[in-house]
Amino acid sequence: MKKLSIAVAALALIGTMGVAKTLKVGLASGAYTMDPQAFNETATNSILSNIFDTLVRFDENIQIHPDLAVSWTNPEPKVWIIKLRKGVKFHNGNTFNADDVVFTFNRIKNWKKSGFKGKVSMIDKVEKIDDYTVKFITKKAFPVFLRKLTYVNMLDKETVEGKSDEWIGLHPIGTGPYKFVLWRKGDQIKFKANPNYWAGKPKFDDLIFRVLSNNATRTAAILSGEVDLINRVPVVDVNRIKNNDKLNTFVKPGLRLIYLQMDQFREKTPYVKSANGKNPFLDVRVRRALYYGINEDAIIKFIMKSFAVPAAQFSPSVVVGYDPSIKRVKYDPAKAKKLLAQAGYPNGFSVVLDAPNNRYINDAQIAQAVASSLAKIGITVKVNATPKSSFFPRTAKQDTSFFLIGWASSDGDGSSILDGVIHSKDDVKGYGRYNNGKYSNPKVDKLIEESDANMNPPSRVKQMQEAQQIALVQDQNIIPLHYQVDIYASSKKIKFAPRTDSRIWAFDIK
Amino acid sequence: MLKYILNRLFHSVIVMFVISFIVFFIMFKAGDPVQLLLPPDATQQDVIEMRHALGIDQSFIKQYEAFLKNVAKGNLGTSFVYGQPALEVVFERLPATLELSVLAMIFSILFGIPLGIIASIKPKAWYSKAIMFLSLSGISVPVFWTGMVLVLVFSVLLGWLPSSGRGEVYLFTSAFTWDGIKHLIMPVLTLSFFQLALILRLTRTGMMEVMMQDYIKLATAKGVPRRVVVYYHALKNSLIPLITVIGIQFGQLVAFTIVTETIFAWPGTGKLIIDSIQNLDRPIVVAYLLIISFIFVAINFLVDILYTFVDPRVRM
Repeated sequence: MKKLSIAVAALALIGTMGVAKTLKVGLASGAYTMDPQAFNETATNSILSNIFDTLVRFDENIQIHPDLAVSWTNPEPKVWIIKLRKGVKFHNGNTFNADDVVFTFNRIKNWKKSGFKGKVSMIDKVEKIDDYTVKFITKKAFPVFLRKLTYVNMLDKETVEGKSDEWIGLHPIGTGPYKFVLWRKGDQIKFKANPNYWAGKPKFDDLIFRVLSNNATRTAAILSGEVDLINRVPVVDVNRIKNNDKLNTFVKPGLRLIYLQMDQFREKTPYVKSANGKNPFLDVRVRRALYYGINEDAIIKFIMKSFAVPAAQFSPSVVVGYDPSIKRVKYDPAKAKKLLAQAGYPNGFSVVLDAPNNRYINDAQIAQAVASSLAKIGITVKVNATPKSSFFPRTAKQDTSFFLIGWASSDGDGSSILDGVIHSKDDVKGYGRYNNGKYSNPKVDKLIEESDANMNPPSRVKQMQEAQQIALVQDQNIIPLHYQVDIYASSKKIKFAPRTDSRIWAFDIK
Repeated sequence: MLKYILNRLFHSVIVMFVISFIVFFIMFKAGDPVQLLLPPDATQQDVIEMRHALGIDQSFIKQYEAFLKNVAKGNLGTSFVYGQPALEVVFERLPATLELSVLAMIFSILFGIPLGIIASIKPKAWYSKAIMFLSLSGISVPVFWTGMVLVLVFSVLLGWLPSSGRGEVYLFTSAFTWDGIKHLIMPVLTLSFFQLALILRLTRTGMMEVMMQDYIKLATAKGVPRRVVVYYHALKNSLIPLITVIGIQFGQLVAFTIVTETIFAWPGTGKLIIDSIQNLDRPIVVAYLLIISFIFVAINFLVDILYTFVDPRVRM
C-alpha cells in the first residue's frame, strides 16, 4: 500500500511536469477508411472529424458554426459566397485555399464510389473568386446548403490529386486539430496533436481510438481504466458504471427515429391475411389503430430500459421543422379495436412484421414487443427479424407489407426524412428513396418540394410542419415509436460533453 | 513422393476453385451491398452509378468470369467497403490470428500431452482424477465465459493485465515485446483451454490403449526402463491419432478464433470476416475463405507427411 501511494505521488508529480497527455477512447465500431469522401457512416465520420476540417461545423447541439469558412452570404437564392479562413495549413505544411475547396467538391461529384454524393448533389458549380473566396451555385434555391457542408471534409489538392483511391484511403491529411499517426485495422487508430491548428493547440497530445465492438469488453475497458471514454454504453451496464465513483455517465437524445412503415400502395399486399383478402393498411383507420394499439411506454420501459424518448413525429425537437403542437397519442387498445371494427376488421387480420436484427438498438426485441401489443387488439403479427444485409435490400424492393426501420435526421434538418421517407417515390426527382410503403399525397409532395426551395426560414418551417400535419396526423403514413439515445461513460479525469450528432470531437474534451 | 505431392496440389486447386464458386454464388444471392454502402440521402442515380463502379450490375456469370480473370493475375478484387485490395486487407489481419492460434496450440500441446501421460499411467491416483476433472471443465465451459471471467479477475479486479487489444508489434508478431506478451496471455489461455483438454484426453486414452499391447509387456519383461517404455515405445505409437486431431484442430483455431477475438478486441481475421459478411463485402469474404481453405489443405498435407516419420508403416 505504501509503495502504491509513493507510485501515485510520483505519477502525480510527473503529471504536473507536463508529460504528454493521452486521450484514449473506446468505440463500438471503428473506421472503415481514412478517405473522408468514401464511406458516409457515423463511426468513420466521427473519427475523421478530428483530422479534417469542413467549411462549417456543427456544435454539440447541431447548430452551424464557422470552421474553415469565416463568413458567408447568400446574395441570390442560388448563389452562396463563402470567405475562407486565412493562414490555415494542412498537416504537411501546404496552405489551404480556394483551390482545395473547388478540388474537394469536384472529387466527390466525379468519383463514382463516393458515399457523399447526396451532400453535394444540389451544388451545380463551385468557382474560385480569389484565393480565399469561393462561389457556390446550387441547382435550385437550397436552404439546407450549409448543413450539407458539414459533411464535406477539405482535402489538400496538391497532395491528393493524381493519387490512387487506395492511397488516399490510407493517408489522411487534413487541417484539423489532430494529425494521423497510425491505423492498426480492427485494433486502434492513433493521432497526435496538430500544434499549428488554427483554433489553438489541442489539449491532448495523443489521441487513441480503440475498437471495442463487444459490449462487455467496452465496459471492462472503462472499468479497468484502460480507456478514458467509451460510447454506446450497454444498457445493462449503465448502473454498474454509475456506481463507480471514478466514472461519469452521459445520456444524450440522438437524432434517430425508430418507426413502422406499412404497404400503402397495393390492393393486395403479400404478407397479410385478412378476411376480405384486401390490404388493410390502405385504410387510415387501420393505420391509426396501430398507433393507438402499440404500448410504446412499455417498450421504452422494458425493452429500452428507459434509454429512449417516445416519439410523436418525424424528428426530435432540435431538428428544423419540429412541430411543438403534435403530441403522441395515449396508448388506448379499446379505441384501437373500435377503429379496426369501423374499418371492417372487427376480428383483426394477420401480418408479417419485417425488422432488422443487427441495425438498431434492440431492433428485433422492439418488433416482438410491437407484435405482442398488437395481439391485444386482434392483429396477429409474426415477426421476421433478419440481418440488415438481407433486410434493407428486401424493403428496397417492397418485398414486405409491414416493417420496422429507423431514420436519423443527421443534417439536423427535417427535410431529410421528408424528402427520403414521406414524399412519394420519385426516382427522377430523387425523392422518396426510402418510402417503401409508397405513401403518396400530392398535397404533401407539393409542400415538401416548396419547403425544399424556400429560403425564408420561418415560412419554410411552416410548410414542413404543414406537410407533417397532413402526412402524419391526418394520414398516419408511418407509426413513430421512439428516438434512440446515446449513452457514454467517461473517466472523471476528463471533461466530456456528448454531442447531438453522436460524434466524438476530441478538441472539445478537456 | 513427387507424384503424391503433385496429386495433392491438383486436388487443392480444385477444392479452392469449388469453394470460390460457392462463396461467390452465396454472396451474389445474399443481396445488394450498395443499399448498405450508400447513406439514406443518396439518390437512385447514385445507387446505379455505384453499382456500375463496383461491377455488380453485371450478370452472375460475367462477374464470376471477371473474378477468375483477376485471380489469374493474382488479384482477388477490391473491397467494397475498405476500398483496398481484398488480399491486402486479409493479409494485414492474418498475423494477429495466426499468432493467437499458434501460441494457443503450442501451449495446449506443451501441457496437454504431459498431463495426459501422467493421467494415463496411474489413472486411479488423486492427481489423475483432478486432471481429468479439470479437463472435463475445459471441454464443457464455453469460451465466452472463460474469457469474460479472466477479464473480470485479471483486468477489472486485479488490474494486472490489459483487458483487450493487441500489444506492441515487432516483426509481424507481438510475442517478442513485453507489452505484447501482456496482451497475449488472456486470449491465448482462453483459446487454449478447450484444445488443451481435448489433447489431454486423447493422449490419455491413446496411452492407456497402447500400454496394454503385447510389445509394451515384452519391453517391460525385457527389462527396458519404465521411462523409456512410456516416453519412447508407448508415446510414439499413440501419436498418430493425436497428430491428426491437432492438425484438424489447428485449422479450426485459425478459422474460429472469432469468439476469442471479439471478447479481447483482437484485430484478427475473425472480426473482419463477420463485419464483411454483414456488409456483404464479397471480395473480402471470398479472399478470406480461399486463404483459410488453403491453410486447411496445407495442414492436412503436413500431417500426412508427419505420419511417415512417426509411423514407418504408413506409405504414400
